[in-house]
Amino acid sequence: MAGMKTASGDYIDSSWELRVFVGEEDPEAESVTLRVTGESHIGGVLLKIVEQINRKQDWSDHAIWWEQKRQWLLQTHWTLDKYGILADARLFFGPQHRPVILRLPNRRALRLRASFSQPLFQAVAAICRLLSIRHPEELSLLRAPEKKEKKKKEKEPEEELYDLSKVVLAGGVAPALFRGMPAHFSDSAQTEACYHMLSRPQPPPDPLLLQRLPRPSSLSDKTQLHSRWLDSSRCLMQQGIKAGDVLWLRFKYYSFFDLDPKTDPVRLTQLYEQARWDLLLEEIDCTEEEMMVFAALQYHINKLSQSGEVGEPAGTDPGLDDLDAALSNLEVKLEGSAPTDVLDSLTTIPELKDHLRIFRPRKLTLKGYRQHWVVFKETTLSYYKSQDEAPGDPIQQLNLKGCEVVPDVNVSGQKFCIKLLVPSPEGMSEIYLRCQDEQQYARWMAGCRLASKGRTMADSSYASEVQAILAFLSLQRTGGGGPSNHPQGPDASAEGLNPYGLVAPRFQRKFKAKQLTPRILEAHQNVAQLSLAEAQLRFIQAWQSLPDFGISYVMVRFKGSRKDEILGIANNRLIRIDLAVGDVVKTWRFSNMRQWNVNWDIRQVAIEFDEHINVAFSCVSASCRIVHEYIGGYIFLSTRERARGEELDEDLFLQLTGGHEAF
Amino acid sequence: MGESSEDIDQMFSTLLGEMDLLTQSLGVDTLPPPDPNPPRAEFNYSVGFKDLNESLNALEDQDLEALMADLVADISEAEQRTIQAQKESSQNQHHSASLQASNVSGAAPLGHGTNVAATGISPYENDLPPPPADPVLDLPLPPPPPEPLSQEEEEAQAKADKIKLALEKLKEAKVKKLVVKVHMNDNSTKSLMVDERQLARDVLDNLFEKTHCDCNVDWCLYEIYPELQIERFFEDHENVVEVLSDWTRDTENKVLFLQKEEKYAVFKNPQNFYLDNRGKKESKETNEKMNAKNKESLLEESFCGTSIIVPELEGALYLKEDGKKSWKRRYFLLRASGIYYVPKGKTKTSRDLACFIQFENVNIYYGTQHKMKYKAPTDYCFVLKHPQIQKESQYIKYLCCDDARTLNQWVMGIRIAKYGKTLYDNYQRAVAKAGLASRWTNLGTVNAAAPAQPSTGSKGTAQPNGQMPQAAHSISAVLQEAQRHAETSKDKKLALGNHHDPAAPRAPHAPKSSLPPPPPVRRSSDTSGSPATPPKAKGTGGGGFPAPPDDFLPPPPPPPPLEDPELPPPPPEFMEPPPNFVPPPPPSCAGTAGSELPPPPPPPPAPAPDSARPPPAVAKRPPMPPKRHENPGTPGGAGGGEQDFMSDLMKALQKKRGNVS
Repeated sequence: MAGMKTASGDYIDSSWELRVFVGEEDPEAESVTLRVTGESHIGGVLLKIVEQINRKQDWSDHAIWWEQKRQWLLQTHWTLDKYGILADARLFFGPQHRPVILRLPNRRALRLRASFSQPLFQAVAAICRLLSIRHPEELSLLRAPEKKEKKKKEKEPEEELYDLSKVVLAGGVAPALFRGMPAHFSDSAQTEACYHMLSRPQPPPDPLLLQRLPRPSSLSDKTQLHSRWLDSSRCLMQQGIKAGDVLWLRFKYYSFFDLDPKTDPVRLTQLYEQARWDLLLEEIDCTEEEMMVFAALQYHINKLSQSGEVGEPAGTDPGLDDLDAALSNLEVKLEGSAPTDVLDSLTTIPELKDHLRIFRPRKLTLKGYRQHWVVFKETTLSYYKSQDEAPGDPIQQLNLKGCEVVPDVNVSGQKFCIKLLVPSPEGMSEIYLRCQDEQQYARWMAGCRLASKGRTMADSSYASEVQAILAFLSLQRTGGGGPSNHPQGPDASAEGLNPYGLVAPRFQRKFKAKQLTPRILEAHQNVAQLSLAEAQLRFIQAWQSLPDFGISYVMVRFKGSRKDEILGIANNRLIRIDLAVGDVVKTWRFSNMRQWNVNWDIRQVAIEFDEHINVAFSCVSASCRIVHEYIGGYIFLSTRERARGEELDEDLFLQLTGGHEAF
Repeated sequence: MGESSEDIDQMFSTLLGEMDLLTQSLGVDTLPPPDPNPPRAEFNYSVGFKDLNESLNALEDQDLEALMADLVADISEAEQRTIQAQKESSQNQHHSASLQASNVSGAAPLGHGTNVAATGISPYENDLPPPPADPVLDLPLPPPPPEPLSQEEEEAQAKADKIKLALEKLKEAKVKKLVVKVHMNDNSTKSLMVDERQLARDVLDNLFEKTHCDCNVDWCLYEIYPELQIERFFEDHENVVEVLSDWTRDTENKVLFLQKEEKYAVFKNPQNFYLDNRGKKESKETNEKMNAKNKESLLEESFCGTSIIVPELEGALYLKEDGKKSWKRRYFLLRASGIYYVPKGKTKTSRDLACFIQFENVNIYYGTQHKMKYKAPTDYCFVLKHPQIQKESQYIKYLCCDDARTLNQWVMGIRIAKYGKTLYDNYQRAVAKAGLASRWTNLGTVNAAAPAQPSTGSKGTAQPNGQMPQAAHSISAVLQEAQRHAETSKDKKLALGNHHDPAAPRAPHAPKSSLPPPPPVRRSSDTSGSPATPPKAKGTGGGGFPAPPDDFLPPPPPPPPLEDPELPPPPPEFMEPPPNFVPPPPPSCAGTAGSELPPPPPPPPAPAPDSARPPPAVAKRPPMPPKRHENPGTPGGAGGGEQDFMSDLMKALQKKRGNVS
């Protein structure tokens, strides 16, 4: 044993004193001094430390961190000599898991304990297991952006911080489900709330906040984000992260494997949130039409989520819906399967009859709306000069199947018009129906919408459609539709819809709320029947369909070029983009790639493609480690196969993304 | 008979009521339920044609005959029986005659294009009865006319019962049917019965069986609008009746059956669409040599992810200005959400783009010879329009590309954006079908022979009939049907009932049909058949149709019940012919055949199923039939003609009767 000494107190072995601080890296920390030799094993040292501290506590998570070498001493059978530790080593005896604050894709903050000693890849996998997100290889952590000089009134009126730091997950086994959520969430009301936060979409953000948040104004702005990715082969401690730091958890690789609404409620929701914020903060551009669809989906998702229909496991929803739809179809088909039934159904087919004002735009006519007697039966709209003539031939008869229905509504102006674009062999005929009030409008509108899809008012969805329209009208009354609307918009009232929370700020500038609302409503009619999970999936799919989807931008300088350019990294290709114009200069696909090499000294990445195409560039906006990891990561993700399930070949991943011992 | 016929009339009237409901959805007026005669009309559906009256009046005996022949072929033996019965009580039973007439009329007007005369038949029972049904089948094509005549009144009653059953089935399955004239590439035509549930894929499979072509994936149904000079292929998942119902009644539009390699070009050479570097022309060559493995992974990447990838496509195209003959060059971009253009003075970033069109309500067509017609800069034009628009209109968008390659890229890109993964699914089905077909041909030389080369050789209508019956079809159809329908117990029941009946009445015929020999027989019938004449004479063809209606009606009138089963079987008969190959299969085949006729689904499905081969097919077939039956029931729904149609039918019927008598 180290520490033998003579009677006079001189040490006679080769032992020396080793000072170890207890706790996290804190200069003030208490310390213990041990007598050790170079032959001492780390395990023995740990034992001595605990003895010396002489405090009853669970020390099992503690390990020694060597500050100068930025290294954990995790090999307990290694000796101090083998590690090369001398008396001047600054060692800290601290917990390997420390609390951090995660900023989730949905922008909520969550406190939990993350491993500071394992490679980030494993640490993220553990976090994802805790959050029940499958396929953790698609996610990673970023450093939080440095806060710029805080503006006068520091925002963030103490936001709610969810806490999972006390939850400990048994290793190995997949968490079992209990009460519709992974068992470890059902311990307390607090953790339950946390699960709901994770698995349910958040309400739309305050439009004012949205305008304040930083948005990239150029491609080079978009490269900033990607300079903050942490290194997945090293641990948090090695990357200078401290306990209590804020980290962002994000989907890093845009290659979402086996997205399944049934088993992935949290993953799906967080992915949806990330997509939504991408769009709202203009990280990815879309067209006006696409934005309306995104807004409508958000509105719909929010509505479902607020109404608590989320409660049931999202997975069963689609199936049930399908079944319902099938049943209702069947109903229609079987209608009148017996003669008597037929008669009944004949007499009970719902129809609408009323005086409506009709306007048919024609060239060279100044006529406005004229009152007619309008009969709406099945999918056909007929109008007559007056009610008396109804049994006779109508002035015109329109089959609304396949037509376009566009609302033209101004609630405050009491204008309730339905614009119909009815296809016919000769072209499209345009007709406007003007209703007197909301009730009438909702009934006719719902009928028109169903008819345009070939369904009649006998359809089971008619009533809910009417309700949805009324609800939307009331939103316009309370929300963005008011005459007092300024581009900034009043805050959404409790139940009201503020369209500004659903679209990117540039559309806030471009349109008034009352212009946006009807367009969102119009788009909404196409998605109104979706379940929560379906709507989220649809949102994600639409996001994935954007041409710029899934491209991570890095500023680079190609060998031989004298100006900076942008390198876009997507899941299947590399794109060389002109920095100034944004045009794609050249695309290389990973499938043609032979090999890539990184010269860590000159920070240069060299890639060889088939047919002897060689590309080399140095990285400007981010370290070449990040580019290297992106490429390797996508290659790794492309090797995943369904058959292997969720098993991860971590070695392969690290092999593909690591290899920079030079650091 | 008299009593039964009255009952039938009653039933018809109730059916008419139903039909009205159905027809409304179709957009066609419904006939008044009260008329007994009309009821039959209901069963027959004419879709999309405005001038039923005209068409009826215009009908020539020949046209009628041709149609009849087709119909006969389609109809199962059971149906024929019913028809015969009806003929016996010919006047009483207006249905059959009227039906035929109506059908014919519809067809006649169409002329070039597809004729849409729909007849609703209830062939359902057929499937179950395998053995009995088969006999019936033989009769259908050539014999049909004679049989009806020869049939006895006794049988008629039994038929009436069957009719009742059939009616019930019809109610369950209100299925609309059309007779479609398909133009082949040798300028001949074939008439097919297409029911409203059949997809283009089903119809293609049907045609494969009739023509014994190589079944490769390039075969497609192709619609041509001579007036607008536009054309496009049906996507395999499209509902044929739905598409045709957008045509006007006096349309010159045609449906063609031909090979277009553009149809699935993206799946054969995805690199031409996904990896095309427009900047560098020389890359074309290298692109075209992509190895199979890379192609596969490219397809996988583009079509098998969470969302499909629409090829990146952008470039300057010429746009025809609304209402003018001038073309303006604009820069267009394709996105999953639609086609966009770059407004003047803007950049092509997403935020500046203006939406040109979205795909939800439009189909894409190739424009032909627009250089001449509209002074287009080139002849590489494509057109976007709402499917219902049939005439020139400002709502039709004309675009013109610089070269054929660009045109194909745009058309394919738009189809990918519009249809998404469905396109890939269609392709995989087509490939499976093609593979199956090649095996199939190896298996049965007989089939190949049977097919109907004669029919092709012969002209129009007559041939089609002969072909229709062919066995090849049935098998594939059976399989498919089985898959698709996983039908309800009801079907099965019906089928069972049918079996009994069919067996009893037509046992003799059935055997023939079922056996291998049948194919030849059919051919003979076909060729000779052309027999169009016989059918016409019979009006029976019409009768055949009517028969189904009768079936429907009968339900109330108990008298004929016994025969009911038989009635259904008849349809199977038709089906059976195809089965020719194997004796055992015959029944099943018959069933399939029957199913084909009324319910579109059967034919197409059958091919698709892996098990298409004879043995398995046989096993499966039995179940299938029931399903079909259900389908047939629906026919009544059509009602395209509506009121006018009814009166037309009456006239036609009277005319027919006159002829017959």
